[in-house]
Amino acid sequence: MAHLTLAVSEGTFQRSFDLLKRNLTFQDSDLQDYGAFTLGYDVKMHLEGGSVDLRDDNTIQIKELDIRWDRLKVIIGLDIPRICVGGGCINMPWPIPDICLPRICVFSADPDVSISPDFASLVAQEISFTGSLVARYFDVSVPLPSPDPCQLLRVVPLPGNNQWQIFVDPQTMDLDLFDFPDIVGDLIEDALTSAVTALIPGGWVRDLILAIIGGVADLIRTILDIPDDIEEWLSDLFNVSFGLLDFIGTLVLDFFASCNPIYAIDDPFEILPAAGGLIPVRIPIRNLSVRAHDLEMVVQADVGA
Amino acid sequence: MAFTDRSDLYAAVHEEGINRVVRHIMQQRPSLFNYATPYFLQNPGLLCVPIKAAPEVTAAGNPLFTVQTPLPVLAAMPPVGLNYCLQFTDLALDFHDSDTIKLPPELGTLPAQRLALYMKGCFGLGCVLEDFYRDLIPLAEAGAVSHGDKPFYGLASLPSSQERDPIVPPVRKLTCFCLELYAVLHFEWGPIGKDEYLKMRLDRLEIVDLKPEEMENILECYAEAVLRLGILPRLSIKIEKMVLDITRLLRQQGLQVGQQISLVPAPVPAAVPHNPAVEDDQLKAFVNLVIQP
Repeated sequence: MAHLTLAVSEGTFQRSFDLLKRNLTFQDSDLQDYGAFTLGYDVKMHLEGGSVDLRDDNTIQIKELDIRWDRLKVIIGLDIPRICVGGGCINMPWPIPDICLPRICVFSADPDVSISPDFASLVAQEISFTGSLVARYFDVSVPLPSPDPCQLLRVVPLPGNNQWQIFVDPQTMDLDLFDFPDIVGDLIEDALTSAVTALIPGGWVRDLILAIIGGVADLIRTILDIPDDIEEWLSDLFNVSFGLLDFIGTLVLDFFASCNPIYAIDDPFEILPAAGGLIPVRIPIRNLSVRAHDLEMVVQADVGA
Repeated sequence: MAFTDRSDLYAAVHEEGINRVVRHIMQQRPSLFNYATPYFLQNPGLLCVPIKAAPEVTAAGNPLFTVQTPLPVLAAMPPVGLNYCLQFTDLALDFHDSDTIKLPPELGTLPAQRLALYMKGCFGLGCVLEDFYRDLIPLAEAGAVSHGDKPFYGLASLPSSQERDPIVPPVRKLTCFCLELYAVLHFEWGPIGKDEYLKMRLDRLEIVDLKPEEMENILECYAEAVLRLGILPRLSIKIEKMVLDITRLLRQQGLQVGQQISLVPAPVPAAVPHNPAVEDDQLKAFVNLVIQP
């Protein structure tokens, strides 16, 4: 029997996943000046939908997680060389004053022309992912392979001591760069909602019609998503990513994930810190394992002698 | 049957795991369990029980025991102190239902949902050698008559505190005795401030084979006070710590959701018959995750 056992139910995973979705937003903006033109972006995204499922084959599946863009602005600016006319003077004989023409310049600003279309309502992505958690032991005394394939992909520096590390091992990934069912569904729903709101200012009749529109839009989304669902089902069945993008994405993710643990525990693990010149108290961790099945995820470990 | 059939999170620790942790602490921090006078810094071989320390302890020059002042000899003038040591040599826990710790008859068999604690402590005192008495007694007599203006050679004015370093007679061999303490305890959830903690509570304890009975009672009374007021409150564990401190992990990942998450024990008996449960040689905790909307 393992010395330490920690289990997390599938329901807890789902609720934690929902909490993460509610709280996880990403936003960034930047503007670079390249002389004649400027390029920039201003983006903000959040997550919607999706479900998490623990499965008997020791994998976790995140299904149809939508990436929604609140802002997806691309900023393009053009700096046209300044053109100036006038400014010169015509010398006139006395007593007629000199005639000076006003100097008029155009394209003085930087950039002179700027457009920032927002593609947020036109773009949506959907991602499905299947992977397992794997515990591996990092032994600091074992030399790294040369050349080190993870050198460029490692986000966190290599530890200076032995560690138990938990990695995500991706099995399949399905990334829809353009989630057409949701894009079309959203456009239809927005258009119909605007039209109905303009025609009927308020009241239960409008609410009823809007509810029907929402249902119809969902139906359209579901129907349009059927081919993608079939592809995801086949991908899951054969444990391989279909489509060149998904295949490459899985390979890249696999490589990246194998270089970056999501959680690490020092071995030996410190339980009492150093104090007053006394060395810290550390306990050796043995046989760390992570496994998932249909109902829960279980982490187990032993305390070394 | 899944571990989390009756709660969101489940954490369990086996008695062997805890006992190994205790052994590691005893070997890596021996000064927590051994107390002795400075004389034993040069004479560790005279201690009642040899101290088993991890090699890192000696390599780092860490002390094997916490240094104590010698035991003062009452009324001695000049002041005299005796060498002594107090060592806690064994400490083990046994969760119901195995019986790796045999409880004494006074405590009976270990009840369900309880754990047994076994602790062995040894005390050693360095008696003054006869040669040393021969040297000390003239000094003591001279010290006593120097207060000759007082009746009975100064017995009415015993020195209240030692004004200078005491004379500490050397020791060839400590006279040692060891006592074994057994206790029955249980766990329960309870608040400390605003947070929920797992607490250890003492039910009964027994020091075996000590006569006269009143002395045993006095020592048990003192040991109970030390356990209930000194040691057990320090062993309380915050509920988040039992599940790898989820909120701290989320904060480390840059997610400020800690205020929306709280952990609460699964209700008894609605969800589980015992929580925390002490059974199958394990301490089991059933915890629910509460997420504020």
